[in-house]
Amino acid sequence: MQKIIAWIDDRFPLTKVWNEHLAQYYAPKNFNFWYYFGSLALLVLVNQIVTGIFLTMNYKPDAALAFGSVQYIMYDVSWGWLIRYMHSVGASMFFIIIYLHMFRGLIYGSHKQPRELIWIFGTLIFVALMAEAFMGYLLPWGNMSYWGAQVIISLFTAIPVIGNGLAQWVRGDYVVSDATLNRFFAFHVIALPLVLVALVFVHLVALHKVGSNNPDGVEIKKKKDEKGIPLDGIPFHPYYTVKDIVGVTVFLMVFAAVIFFAPTLGGKFLEHDNFIPANILSTPLDIVPLWYFTPFYSMLRASTTDFTHGMLAIFTMLVAMLAFFTQRGFRAKFLSVAIAGVLLLGMYTLEAKLWGVILMGSSIVLIFFLPWLDRSPVKSIRYRGPLFKGAVIIFVLSFILLGYLGTKSPAAVDLFWFKNVLWAQGFTLLYLAFFVLMPWYTMIDKTKPVPERVTLK
Amino acid sequence: MNDDGVDRGKRRFLTALTAGVGTVGIVFAATPFVLSMTPSARARAAGAPVDVDISKLELGQMLVVAWRGKPVYIVNRTKAMLAQLPNNTPLLLDPYSKVKSQQPPYAENIYRSRKPEILVTLGVCTHLGCAPSKVFTVGAVSGLGADWPGGFFCHCHGSKYDLSGRVFKNVPAPMNLDVPPYIYLTDTLIRVGSDKKEGAA
Amino acid sequence: MNKIILSLLLGLLPIVSHAEQGLKLDHVRIDLSDQASLQRGARIFVNYCLSCHNAAYLRYNRMGHDLGISNQLVKQDLLFATNKIGDRMRAAMPAADAKKWFGVAPPDLTLEARYRGPDWIYTYMHSFYRDPKSFSGWNNTVFPHVAMPFVLYGWQGEQRAVFRNVKLVSHVMENGKAVTEVTEERVFSHFVLAKPGTMTPKQYDLAIRDLTNFMVYMGEPAKLERIRIGVYVLIFLAVFLVLAILLKKEYWKDVH
Repeated sequence: MQKIIAWIDDRFPLTKVWNEHLAQYYAPKNFNFWYYFGSLALLVLVNQIVTGIFLTMNYKPDAALAFGSVQYIMYDVSWGWLIRYMHSVGASMFFIIIYLHMFRGLIYGSHKQPRELIWIFGTLIFVALMAEAFMGYLLPWGNMSYWGAQVIISLFTAIPVIGNGLAQWVRGDYVVSDATLNRFFAFHVIALPLVLVALVFVHLVALHKVGSNNPDGVEIKKKKDEKGIPLDGIPFHPYYTVKDIVGVTVFLMVFAAVIFFAPTLGGKFLEHDNFIPANILSTPLDIVPLWYFTPFYSMLRASTTDFTHGMLAIFTMLVAMLAFFTQRGFRAKFLSVAIAGVLLLGMYTLEAKLWGVILMGSSIVLIFFLPWLDRSPVKSIRYRGPLFKGAVIIFVLSFILLGYLGTKSPAAVDLFWFKNVLWAQGFTLLYLAFFVLMPWYTMIDKTKPVPERVTLK
Repeated sequence: MNDDGVDRGKRRFLTALTAGVGTVGIVFAATPFVLSMTPSARARAAGAPVDVDISKLELGQMLVVAWRGKPVYIVNRTKAMLAQLPNNTPLLLDPYSKVKSQQPPYAENIYRSRKPEILVTLGVCTHLGCAPSKVFTVGAVSGLGADWPGGFFCHCHGSKYDLSGRVFKNVPAPMNLDVPPYIYLTDTLIRVGSDKKEGAA
Repeated sequence: MNKIILSLLLGLLPIVSHAEQGLKLDHVRIDLSDQASLQRGARIFVNYCLSCHNAAYLRYNRMGHDLGISNQLVKQDLLFATNKIGDRMRAAMPAADAKKWFGVAPPDLTLEARYRGPDWIYTYMHSFYRDPKSFSGWNNTVFPHVAMPFVLYGWQGEQRAVFRNVKLVSHVMENGKAVTEVTEERVFSHFVLAKPGTMTPKQYDLAIRDLTNFMVYMGEPAKLERIRIGVYVLIFLAVFLVLAILLKKEYWKDVH
């Protein structure tokens, strides 16, 4: 055995990689519950790839055959139903895990210096994952698949001048059709998985370059023993591998419970309207994207003309205020006024539909800027003040409620007093405010002293 | 970090046990994926036994039907053809059908069939899977030499079989033609692919 | 002015949509382990529904196997003469003919229970009534103006629908003033059995329950197997979890 490894090591850095990334990769010893979701995300990615490969063996990317081939998998292929449920439930699980993983990064300051690139790669993974899920959802060619794609691709038409042409180019037809299905298939099974795997790789390379953050937000590399090993670090293998096995098992129990006992989760993970084939003449009564897109869908629908005008006015005022009260120089002031002017101009010339798309786009783009919006001197929420804690609570509630409202009719009243659309507008403002006001409230927030070493409860 | 006083034996035992149970789990999880690649219900339905009416099959003629996507030859052999079969014995590799895999027990005879006259065999050469053609004419006229007793000839690599589907010596094919399971439902109705009257059809 | 009309319409929206959703579906108890019920349901489905509708994702032999009906019996009782036991369940009537006669091609019903839900099917099959104005002579409160004629009327008999008028009160804003509008609308009240069929209402109800039960089975034939396997998977994972926790605790003794 020793000889074989030595033979390989002369030709490939096996032991070196093993040591650098597992046996001698020192991770902080105070990881808590929130640190399971990274390895779980990797597990679900593998699940999606493996089940996806086996689905591809029987799926037919053809508008006339796609729906039937999915039912063929469900009825005729041995164990096909299990493989398909693992894939469809896996997609929802992927988003649950990714949202929790991102939340972990947010509260413990994992986006802050020196981990900005990890955060950006991670956000890119999130964007690629959304594209992957959206395109995958068209493939069963159910009625909801079809109309969901129709509606979302129509967003491109909001772009002035080139919009209609762009939407046609994306579809390859005047409506969502066989051509669209075929290209979405190509993206879903080849292009985006390659992108995702590559992004996951660089995400991990960047992580192993700077080392993991932890719930205390303390840099463990600052305190090392005489051998150069961080005092608060423990080798990833075996300590975190055995710990992650526990996390993986608990997750698999939840995953299996959904797959085997409620694979559609009452229409949340597989919608009822997707049990009939795509019908170009009959739109489902409520076109609702799957739950993981509903927060963003809610923001899109919230953008009525009045709302966008109101919001733009607020933004313009903010920018103008910034221009007057900032201690920066003339150039910064001039820039702020110019931006305010452009926004005001846009408000009167562009229609609400476009602002909806811009709004939804900014809600994702803002995530990329988190490392620079956050001006707090400390990383972890444990040592931050009440302003940040409150902001996070409001942000999470807004996100969840936007998701809930996204599944409901805008004109109905499902919360208290007001119509859903009004609530959605309020929560959209809170969501955006969380990011836009972050430089301000993180700067003035009171912080507690951060300990020298990590703490263990 | 401090690994004084660690019970190495316990640690090794727990690691081995967890790895063992984990491996069992991975094997279980892999099973559905492996099984999903076996023939599906659609393939099995398409490969179901076929019932063949031979009432119109004349003496000395051959009928070809498809079963599981393979050609099945059904030959109504004449008295002369049947009389020739015992004479072929010295030329053949396995004249008494001793290789069990090539026919059901009821075809383990020189006719390789349930009833001497009617031959039912797969038209798939045991060399590399081509379909041998029928060459029922005897002698030099057949183009296969003056001593050709009538049978099947595979154009791909020159394998020869007699009228019982028995392979000749010194040809590439190593075994007699495959006789599928079959049964007479009536005197003129053969079910190919199953030797039970009940069950799928 | 346009804006006022729009806000009027928007103001009405919740009420209108509510009126549409107002139809309550009756709950049906589904029991997929009741093979006798599934077998009776299969018989009804094959003899009546399958004349016009496909159930093309399911095969006869799969159905026979899952429902405990021997292939022999399936062939005798449930199979059209031209079909083989491994065939998919296709309608006796070609879809093109059906489209000519009914105006729409009857939809495939394999997944109907997953699309509409069992309660919908159960209530729908109870809600046909005589309507001389309709093309087929029948109408349905669950699916108004449905093209399908009521094929089981011999069993249930002829129902008549009784409607009543209700006043709808809505508060809308007009020119900045609150205005109360009252409209009258005809809504369905209840059914009267005008001409009894060969079955008593109780018998008919049981037959439809069997049919619905079968259609739920058909929507996901692997459901019982799925749940059975799920129990074993969870038991296995629970055992593995205990081992994993012990292993983690053992190693983490090193970490102080």
